Amino acid sequence: MYPVTPPGPTQPGPDALSATFSALADPTRRAILVRLSSGEATVTELAAPFDLSLPAISKHLKVLQRSGLVEQGRQAQWRPCRLRPEPLRDVADWVAQYRRFWEASFDRLDDYLRELQATQPAADEPEA
Amino acid sequence: MTVRQLGNERTTAWVEGQVLVMERIFDAPRELVWKVMNDPTLVTRWWGPHGYTTTVEEMDVRPRGRWRWINHTTGGESAPFRGEYLEVVPPERVVRTSYFDVPGFNDRPAIETMVLEDLGGRTKVTATSRFPSVEDLEGALAVGMIRGALETYDRLAALIAEDLARV
Repeated sequence: MYPVTPPGPTQPGPDALSATFSALADPTRRAILVRLSSGEATVTELAAPFDLSLPAISKHLKVLQRSGLVEQGRQAQWRPCRLRPEPLRDVADWVAQYRRFWEASFDRLDDYLRELQATQPAADEPEA
Repeated sequence: MTVRQLGNERTTAWVEGQVLVMERIFDAPRELVWKVMNDPTLVTRWWGPHGYTTTVEEMDVRPRGRWRWINHTTGGESAPFRGEYLEVVPPERVVRTSYFDVPGFNDRPAIETMVLEDLGGRTKVTATSRFPSVEDLEGALAVGMIRGALETYDRLAALIAEDLARV
């Protein structure tokens, strides 16, 4: 299930959400994000904990950049990678919206069930 | 990995892997809860956020039966949802697909399950939603422990608390 309101200026588009989920689907990429959560790092620093080549790490970084989760500084000598939290907010918002939709529905269901039983305590055929 | 989510004090909600689970106990017998949840004329009484209304365009509650419900927002927008029933076992279990029926979203169904447990005059409803388009929702939430996303959860909790206080 998806957000109640269709995509608009304040909602993430469906492609952005898919890109974020795909980016997060890989454990190496998730580990990179965890490392970046404690501060920016160079590609070399990010590659250090993994048994992967620099080109392999760069491929992962490209996926993360395409999804908007990571940005890279532009100075020639120093190009640190930095975490951008906005796409993660979209994921959390989407799950939260779905949950809020059902929490509200359950609240209304609860009210309606009480109403039905208050007016017809012995009946099992509620009026439509 | 199980992550306890926020939920409110009436509905418990959490995520297990790719599945969002919500649990709620209703003070009503199971047969009544089943009827209210699965009768086309009664779904309109409760489905959707407060203040929204629902039109049940289609609802054939049996395996391979189709459903299509339109939720009308307070802003006048229409949010259509549709799907197909996969399993129907009265009065205890319904499994169905659910698509948000707008272009860009309607190629990806969630699988929704409702299980009704008889607690003797009360009923526990466990609703689960599996999101097949999310390759690893658990991974997303694990990353959600990152600083920026933690702040988001706090903001969400505050917003939800505000919403609850207004109701």
